[in-house]
Amino acid sequence: MSLICSSQRRGIHLDQSELLCKKGCGFYGNTAWQGLCSKCWREENQREKQKQIQEDWALAERLQREEEEAYASRHQKAQSQPTITPFSKFEERKTKEKSSKVNTVTKFFIPSTKTPPKKGIVYIPSPSSSSSRQSCVDSDHATREFIDFLKPLKSGREIFKQCRAFTESMVYKRDMGADELSECVQDFYQNLSERLQTQFKGSSDHVESVMDEVEKYMMTRLYKEVFCPETTDDEKKDLAIQKRIRALHWVTIEMLCVPVDEEIPEVSDSVVKAITDVIEMDSKRVPKDKLACITRCSKHIFNAIKVSKKEAASADDFLPTLIYIVLKANPPRLQSNIQYITRFCNPSRLMTGEDGYYFTNLCCAVAFIEKLDGQSLNLSSEEFELYMSGQASPHWPQASGASSCSPGSAALSQVHKRLDMLTGLGERQERVMEKARQLESDLIDWTDEVEQKVQSVLESFPPETQNPTATTASGTSAAPSAIDSDNVENELLPPPLQPQVFAG
Amino acid sequence: MAAGGAGGNSGKTYSFKVVLLGEGCVGKTSLVLRYCENKFNDKHITTLQASFLTKKLNITGKRVNLAIWDTAGQERFHALGPIYYRDSNGAVLVYDITDEDSFQKVKNWVKELRKMLGNEICLCIVGNKIDLDKDRHVSVEEAESYAESVGAKHYHTSAKLNKGIEELFLDLCKRMMETAQAEERLKGNGASQSASSRRGVQIVDDEPQATPAGGCCSSG
Repeated sequence: MSLICSSQRRGIHLDQSELLCKKGCGFYGNTAWQGLCSKCWREENQREKQKQIQEDWALAERLQREEEEAYASRHQKAQSQPTITPFSKFEERKTKEKSSKVNTVTKFFIPSTKTPPKKGIVYIPSPSSSSSRQSCVDSDHATREFIDFLKPLKSGREIFKQCRAFTESMVYKRDMGADELSECVQDFYQNLSERLQTQFKGSSDHVESVMDEVEKYMMTRLYKEVFCPETTDDEKKDLAIQKRIRALHWVTIEMLCVPVDEEIPEVSDSVVKAITDVIEMDSKRVPKDKLACITRCSKHIFNAIKVSKKEAASADDFLPTLIYIVLKANPPRLQSNIQYITRFCNPSRLMTGEDGYYFTNLCCAVAFIEKLDGQSLNLSSEEFELYMSGQASPHWPQASGASSCSPGSAALSQVHKRLDMLTGLGERQERVMEKARQLESDLIDWTDEVEQKVQSVLESFPPETQNPTATTASGTSAAPSAIDSDNVENELLPPPLQPQVFAG
Repeated sequence: MAAGGAGGNSGKTYSFKVVLLGEGCVGKTSLVLRYCENKFNDKHITTLQASFLTKKLNITGKRVNLAIWDTAGQERFHALGPIYYRDSNGAVLVYDITDEDSFQKVKNWVKELRKMLGNEICLCIVGNKIDLDKDRHVSVEEAESYAESVGAKHYHTSAKLNKGIEELFLDLCKRMMETAQAEERLKGNGASQSASSRRGVQIVDDEPQATPAGGCCSSG
């Protein structure tokens, strides 16, 4: 059996090398690896893709320089360590090659470039880093960490080279469908881990730790390209589930038969923490980190169940509680995150590991929420429809009845009271406004009336009698204006101009 | 499947995923807690959870890592089954010997599993709570003949008395190892493990029937 296994592995090993050189010059020899292969590949690719990437690189280069200055001190420190020498030399060569190319490109785009990049600094501008400065910082950080991790390994340099070449090649595949991208990454994981297994003579822990770092490095750099790609309808699904969860806001702990008792402070504390963790998942870039968030969330749920039920949580308790947490949290971009993890996570973790179990449960929770109907909540379909359409809510009657027994519902009833009060205030304000408007229109009517009276008076005393009756006319017109001036509120009204014009 | 570190002569480490299916209250959790932690209704609970448990075994010199996945047994979660048992190497279907209904549920599960995963999954049908034999509602003959008819093994256990559990899992492991080894032999040319087998968990579409078997361990 072991004979068969080892021979298989050798076969795969050869395939591996072939896969490496497919894009390059096809060298096999161990010593010949140094840069040659990837160099050939880069030149090849450069020629084809130059037009596409020129712009990106120029931008990246400019950003790079800004970052460089910020990190320069740190790097000088790192350089002084003797262990870095082989790596930094190797990187130096790379950087020289790259910077010479990039500089020529840069000249076209940025006439006033400042200092050329410092030698020996491990900065590889990747097209993806041009998209945002933040992602640039993150991926550089990941690169540095990855290099530091690989330094003590004897094949570290090669692993790094392979990963970088692969990551860069992925950027040009962005037009491919998400499933194909996933296939590429998964194949890469598998080939690499098989090779590592031969190398480490089956120390699976060691292989796993390297694979973790590989995943971290690659996915940090690729995140922008492959998370919720435009080629998929992930975003649409995100919105759908978000809307769905929002529509299900009325689902109570009793309907789901969740065995947690939120009256206990420790339990409600755990519930809050679980919600925070599942929301936090979206902020992570590496699939493994996302999984860690789910695992932390699950542990908090277990704690809540254990404190409530005084026994170890079984799946019968766990799944409903997880569903409840997801409903309460409404985690952002839930479907995108699930798809991303499924596509790009190291498969061994998802298959049998503990993280995989919790992730599977999360998938179940989402599937349940999507298909939820009245029956699954022990409701009649009429009730379900009423609640879904917002015409009724199971909270209100219950809140008043159970307000005395739980602090949560007491707070809720207080909120309701305040809301009622606010509604009352709003109504009263509305009434005041109504009255004010009425008063305003009354005043306008009144002035109009006065105007009309003045006019009619003026008409009844035609201008022929102007001279003898001038005093009486002015007297009659002065009378209403005198009343006017007594009226204090009249100041707010537009001045009755017309009568004055006529009088004048 | 059967992934894991491969050694030179010491043999490889097998990793198996086993799902635990069965109605609520049949004692799935007690069974697995008894097996992994040797506990039953322990007053001093130190275990945080009993839904995902692992056990390391050494069977005839081969290392085996067993991951036991508990599933939610309530009827309302029945449709989620395929998400759980995808890529699993074995399934333990538990019923309560005092509850005829729970045996009926097991039959449903068996039908579904065979349909979705074919014969690559090792099935164990387990009648639990034999300490309550006087209230037995599922006859031994019926259960055993049914198990045989669907190519499953039947076991009688009691988590309370710690009976039959060790044997159940040991037997299951041996069978899963045989399946894994047979499959390795079939994969003559050592082509890389089929891509489909690695793909982890995916959200399943509406009906369980609509999803094809995960292609787990495609036999040549």
